[in-house]
Amino acid sequence: MEALLLKNFLRSKGLMTGLLILFVAGLISLNIGKHFLDKNKEIIEKTAHYQQESIAKNVEFHPKEIGLLLYYVRFGLVNEMPNLAGLAIGQRDINPSLKSVTIRNLEEQKYATDLMNPMYQMLGNMDFSFVLIYFFPLIIIAFCFNLISEEKEEGTWSLVLSQSGNPIKMLRIKILIRFVSVFLILVLLLMIAKFYLAIPFDAVFLAFILTSILYIIFWFTLAWLVASFHKNSSQNALILLLSWVTLTIVVPAGVNALTVNLYPVPEAFSTVLESRDGYHNKWDVPKEPTVAKFHQHYPQFSQFKHPEGKDYSWLWYYAMQQMGDDEAAKDALAFKEKLKKRNAFSSTAGMFFPSIHAQLSLNALSLSDMDNYLNFIEKLESFHEQKRLYFYPKIFTETAVSDENWKKFGLEFYQEKPSLNWLKMLLPLLIISILCVFWAKLKFGKNMMAR
Amino acid sequence: MRNKILKLISKQVWTSKIKNSSTLWLIGIFNGLLFFALFSGYKYLVNQQETVEHYSLEVRERWENRPDKHPHRMAHYGYVAFRNRFPLSFFDFGMDSYVGNAVFLEAHKQNTVNFSEASLSNGLLRFGEISAGMILQLLLPLLIFFWGFDMVAREREHGTLRILLTQGVSWQELILGKSLGLFALALSIFVPSVIVGFILLIFNEFASENPQSYIRFFFLIISYLAYFFILSVLAILVSAKAKSSKSALTSLIGFWLFFTLMLPKVSQVVGQNLFPSPSKIEFDTNVEQELIRQGDSHNPNDPHFKALKDSLLIAYNVDSTHKLPFNYSGYVMREGEKLSAETYKKHQAHLVETYQKQQNVVRFTAFLNPYMAIKNLSMALSGTDHSAYNDFQNQAEDFRYHLAQTMNELQIKYIGNKVKTSADKKAIISKKHWSDLPDFHHQFLSLIQVFKNEVISIISLIVWTLGLFFLVNYSIKNLKAF
Repeated sequence: MEALLLKNFLRSKGLMTGLLILFVAGLISLNIGKHFLDKNKEIIEKTAHYQQESIAKNVEFHPKEIGLLLYYVRFGLVNEMPNLAGLAIGQRDINPSLKSVTIRNLEEQKYATDLMNPMYQMLGNMDFSFVLIYFFPLIIIAFCFNLISEEKEEGTWSLVLSQSGNPIKMLRIKILIRFVSVFLILVLLLMIAKFYLAIPFDAVFLAFILTSILYIIFWFTLAWLVASFHKNSSQNALILLLSWVTLTIVVPAGVNALTVNLYPVPEAFSTVLESRDGYHNKWDVPKEPTVAKFHQHYPQFSQFKHPEGKDYSWLWYYAMQQMGDDEAAKDALAFKEKLKKRNAFSSTAGMFFPSIHAQLSLNALSLSDMDNYLNFIEKLESFHEQKRLYFYPKIFTETAVSDENWKKFGLEFYQEKPSLNWLKMLLPLLIISILCVFWAKLKFGKNMMAR
Repeated sequence: MRNKILKLISKQVWTSKIKNSSTLWLIGIFNGLLFFALFSGYKYLVNQQETVEHYSLEVRERWENRPDKHPHRMAHYGYVAFRNRFPLSFFDFGMDSYVGNAVFLEAHKQNTVNFSEASLSNGLLRFGEISAGMILQLLLPLLIFFWGFDMVAREREHGTLRILLTQGVSWQELILGKSLGLFALALSIFVPSVIVGFILLIFNEFASENPQSYIRFFFLIISYLAYFFILSVLAILVSAKAKSSKSALTSLIGFWLFFTLMLPKVSQVVGQNLFPSPSKIEFDTNVEQELIRQGDSHNPNDPHFKALKDSLLIAYNVDSTHKLPFNYSGYVMREGEKLSAETYKKHQAHLVETYQKQQNVVRFTAFLNPYMAIKNLSMALSGTDHSAYNDFQNQAEDFRYHLAQTMNELQIKYIGNKVKTSADKKAIISKKHWSDLPDFHHQFLSLIQVFKNEVISIISLIVWTLGLFFLVNYSIKNLKAF
């Protein structure tokens, strides 16, 4: 019987077309991912070159005062993108993967965005994760919606019942053949991706593969559950399609609407205002309190004083800049906390919905999620701080510009290691799938008995 | 074509569907979803409007309360401009979440517009947003297809089609009548949301300030009506042409997938590859390089500014800029600001043009894909499209330029030529000048401008509507009664 079912499957034109569509869509998505990775690499190379050039030019223009020079000089930090991000671009096309900052106040620089056509962001990428989350389930639905009903509607079901002692076994083989075919396409695509995008085969990639597999398993178990209801083909198709629309469109958008309404972020605006006033207002007030506050923040620089009676000194200038950050610190922290709350809420809510959970897990593995970006910003803060601490003494002692080896300031790189929480990643998908199978077992038991 | 027959057929479609409890459920679910989308969108809009109003007032207050100081310090203190939401934006979010909301405006420098909703969100946003526009453009068509796929095909399968046709009903009447019935079903979902949307619009205090929002809403309704009508006729046509109701359903769902999910994404990738746009780094480098070529106001030996200086010295017959009757460095900055703003504007315009070319690739697919036509048109009418954002950017840049130049003028006029630093007592002017600068008010695009921007979408909707009559007339020749 197995051989017969397999032959039947292989001969079906519709099913083979389905597999072909999946494969082609997958290949297109891999190409889009490759393109994205290449473009990112190109931007980094160009920036590395541009940074060197710009530093050299500024050193030439402002050779006298290191304080003035550092007003202009920018240092770049790259949020390294693993090649896996070609499979799940996530938020990488919205949040820049490279930031260049001067040692002046960071608040005015850290939220700068890249240039991007918003239409492009709105319509979104057709990356591999999109094909996996949207297209695979549809093909699975098309493969499985008439698992039993087709036999009933073609009149072969009574034949199956009378000839086979165990009709469920036949159904199991039928769905298994379909599963294996989709599974093979998935694995084939991932293997092509491995070589085409040069993804290292490590625990992270393995987690990526397992999550993808569990996601398609979930859809097969759902189709199995719907088959156990013994409804007719169009009802099955309706139920499955509605589940698809609900899981991939309505629920994620609903959770997002909820997040946005529960956690509005007015802190984004107040941070800007606080930091602007924190710095600019210092021009209008006596210099001593500003310098005193600076000394409070950095006791190690207490020996440097603002020369009395002078209108201007670089110590005072950078102390003012520092106040831009210090006075916005409270709001900036509240802002960051708010974003983390948003993140935590949606990923917790997402655990109950395989589509959301899979997408967020894949993004996290590919370091293209919000968490990665927030970590990058934190790294940017310490990068900026470290540059300040390095240059502050040189500025305050008026070290000659020529004493510094400016060539050594190339781009720096931040590489995050994705945290692998296997249970949290795989368990939600596994539990929902098991629930579907279990419920189907109950239903099959009842429905078969009734016959 | 007889009106009586049309009415009869469409009424029959309506009553036979509405009898079905699953139809009522679906209508209920869709209305519930739409109300949720409208209310949550509205709440978000009001929240945004209040936040923007609050912080705009604060920006203004802080600006006016700056003490006496050097005008150039004021030019660097700058302004923060916030993007206002159009009162109708709760109906269709469009690109609103992907474009920035706040921009810091200061002398010499064009900052990016930051804090888009997308930059504050994790991956969830990318599944799409739930707005009335999304439900009506994306989900309602699926429902129309689902209701319509078997309307002719099943009659054929049951043999009732032949009876109908032999009784003297023409194919045109049958298709149009069924389409009208299906259209009426779609209205049972569309009309309540329009009423709720209208009430919410009336309640919004900003709508009365922008009476054009009502006119825009009116055109929005017409566009959606056209869209639903097109889809209803298409569904019935496919049902009439298909071999079986099952194949009708499969092709309709296939069309839906291809046109709403695949084509938009693929066409935007094509657009991007045909018209590559620069990254921020490239853009800034290009602007900077051109500026250096034109003249660097910081470089004392720059030929452009040296020529300027020499001509001034000759005109006023003095031998040093300190002897000029006005503030020389303010004069130089005014010239520098003019040059840099012009250069930036030129590059920015070029960038926007590239973006529009990319978008036009997507926009032109509307002739194949009514979904794209309604999507763009609805976005534009709701004030959430790229042009609306671009207009805000231009207004903010104009304001920035005006601010910087006003401060330069003040410097030229009031600041002495011999002061060494901006902290000098002689270098300070009264704070009363600050309130002379008008506040930033984000104005919305005019209706005519909106129509101009969306000419392609409007034409394609009209072509689709008219084209359907030809399509019906053409395809009935090959239709079979059994």
